[in-house]
Amino acid sequence: MAASVLLSITGATRRFRTPEGGSVHALDAVDLDVRGNEFLTLLGPSGCGKTTLLKAIAGFEDLDAGDIRLDGASLRDVPAHRRPFNTVFQSYALFPHLSVADNVGYGLDVARVPRAERDRRVAEALARVGLEAMGRRAPRQLSGGQQQRVALARALVNRPRLLLLDEPLSALDRHLRQAMQGELKALQHDVGITFLVVTHDQEEALAMSDRIAVMHAGRVRQLGTPAEIYDTPVDRFVAGFVGASNLVRGTWRSTAHGGGCVTTPAGIDIHAEGVASIANGATVDALLRPEQLSPIADGAGAAGPTLAATVASTVFVGPDVHLHAHLADGTPLQALLRHARGQALPFAVGARVVLAYRPAAVHVIAAQAT
Amino acid sequence: MSVAAHARWRRRALLAPAGLLLAAAFVGPLLLVASFSVLEPGLYGGVEWHWYPYNFGRVLGAPLGDVEEFDAAYATTLARSVKLALLVTLVSVAVCYPAAWWVSRLPPRRRALALFVVTLPFFANLIVRVYAWMLILRPTGVLNLVLAALGAGDAATDLMYTEAAVVIGLVYVLLPFMFLPLYASIEKLDPALLAASRDLGATPAQTFVRVALPLTLPGIVGGAAIVFIPALGNFVVPSLLGGSKVMLAGNLIEQQFLAARNWPFGAALAMLLLAFVLVVMLAAAWRRGTRGAVA
Ligand SMILES: Nc1ncnc2c1ncn2[C@@H]1O[C@H](COP(=O)(O)OP(=O)(O)O)[C@@H](O)[C@H]1O
Ligand SMILES: [Mg+2]
Repeated sequence: MAASVLLSITGATRRFRTPEGGSVHALDAVDLDVRGNEFLTLLGPSGCGKTTLLKAIAGFEDLDAGDIRLDGASLRDVPAHRRPFNTVFQSYALFPHLSVADNVGYGLDVARVPRAERDRRVAEALARVGLEAMGRRAPRQLSGGQQQRVALARALVNRPRLLLLDEPLSALDRHLRQAMQGELKALQHDVGITFLVVTHDQEEALAMSDRIAVMHAGRVRQLGTPAEIYDTPVDRFVAGFVGASNLVRGTWRSTAHGGGCVTTPAGIDIHAEGVASIANGATVDALLRPEQLSPIADGAGAAGPTLAATVASTVFVGPDVHLHAHLADGTPLQALLRHARGQALPFAVGARVVLAYRPAAVHVIAAQAT
Repeated sequence: MSVAAHARWRRRALLAPAGLLLAAAFVGPLLLVASFSVLEPGLYGGVEWHWYPYNFGRVLGAPLGDVEEFDAAYATTLARSVKLALLVTLVSVAVCYPAAWWVSRLPPRRRALALFVVTLPFFANLIVRVYAWMLILRPTGVLNLVLAALGAGDAATDLMYTEAAVVIGLVYVLLPFMFLPLYASIEKLDPALLAASRDLGATPAQTFVRVALPLTLPGIVGGAAIVFIPALGNFVVPSLLGGSKVMLAGNLIEQQFLAARNWPFGAALAMLLLAFVLVVMLAAAWRRGTRGAVA
């Protein structure tokens, strides 16, 4: 099923002068299709251009080159107030001189929606975010989480084609943030409006999104489902940014049917399966997620291939124990152990450990020239 | 001594200098003027110390019983003062609002420079600055020279000793007092709120009326108060630029105290002006109070 394209961004480029007199590519030829009724997340480190892209879509930032099309029609000459999008601002930007209900009704008021319908839709929107009793309050009389719900209601009440959210959860504390991740996802499903969410938090992106666009230095490095991004990152940057990762550089030697092995300069072999289109002898990175490595104290009973390592440290985090080790050539590796209540950890610092893995769990990335 | 009692005493100590100064330099003279206004003028200046309510009758007429000395010219002068002071206030807002907006959007260093430039007139003597306007506005003045140079010599006018000259002079003198409170409130206006308004479908004009204006209203009201009140009482500018043709309340009061040596009548005029200002300020404060309760 090919979902319909709602918003099509092609070659979007935006440069800014830096105070030092240089220039920075906030957006560098970004291509991105946003589909109807999807939850799409722009994920990337601070300064990679996420906000700039969101502002360009909302109409608050011009592009130096490229275009943004809605249903195939260019938005170049459409001012912000005539674009059928709404934004949930990072600071919420609630109007302090208006009550909660009047904040939510603002878009309907400027669109001159009749009073009765306006009041009904405002009440509906407030009920949807669980604030039906708060309409008469001033924004400053609400908690941070409640203010954010008002910002959501204020945007959704206009039934935009696309809802833009800039770091919507970053101002909330950890517990509230995790609860809101689920709520945002459920809300998107309920209202059937496309959500385009900006975040620098990879866990948040993985938890909420239908698709994730990973950005770096003004470019979209990879676009895919959370599982695709996590399991098959296209480059070292994506692999390192999303999830904890062990990246081991080596030379690719293929055997049959996409199988082969990555050999480090020190001669350590890492076996892989299901690898397509990498030339023999190419420099590659082998990606081993920590949870795909099973530490075995004495190496006995390992069915598949293993790596011999030395324990550097163990960190107890509750459900898991992070085991930091290094290979014979010094390459650091992290492995994950399920915490078993009442059992002493069998790995002393400095002890030898064998790390077992399945070749199918190893992802091989061709190293870029740059 | 308890902590609360200690804090109470410290608060009193902090207020003492200002309190003493206000009592000595403001409340005292005010009471004196108030009592003069109901005393009889002495034959050769000064006051006769007995009850004499008729000073107000000269301005307000019959209700106060002194039909003989009533002269509508006094009320006309007070009304003209209110009209011109309102005009000065409106022009100042219209001039300062966009300028303050522009300054508030400058990068910090150029903003500091612009604010310094705004306060620059305070460094020169008031009379000198008003005389400069005489050089500009008189028939052979700079204004007409410029008009002639631009080939618009026909438009040459004599603005000296007109209401326009007085308004120009007052606006010029009082401009910084409007600018600073306006700037303070506009600078606090979060640009994200303007973006949010646009995002919700409001045009730039709607955004200004629905978001920027209400949120900067405290600055407008504050600036209006500290421009309107001095404009109402100022007598330096009207006497230099308005001469005897544009007599305002300030000149009238000055005249009664200095030239006519009728202190009680001057005091009565001053009290009327004060009463008017108080009523306006209380009305404004009351309106703000009732609207503040909604938010
Ligand atoms: N108005 C601006 N003027 C100058 N540089 C800017 C401006 N807006 C953004 N930038 C620069 O563009 C880059 C991308 O910024 P931004 O889109 O805000 O990143 P993100 O939201 O991913 O953190 C950064 O290097 C930032 O400093
Ligand atoms: Mg940002």
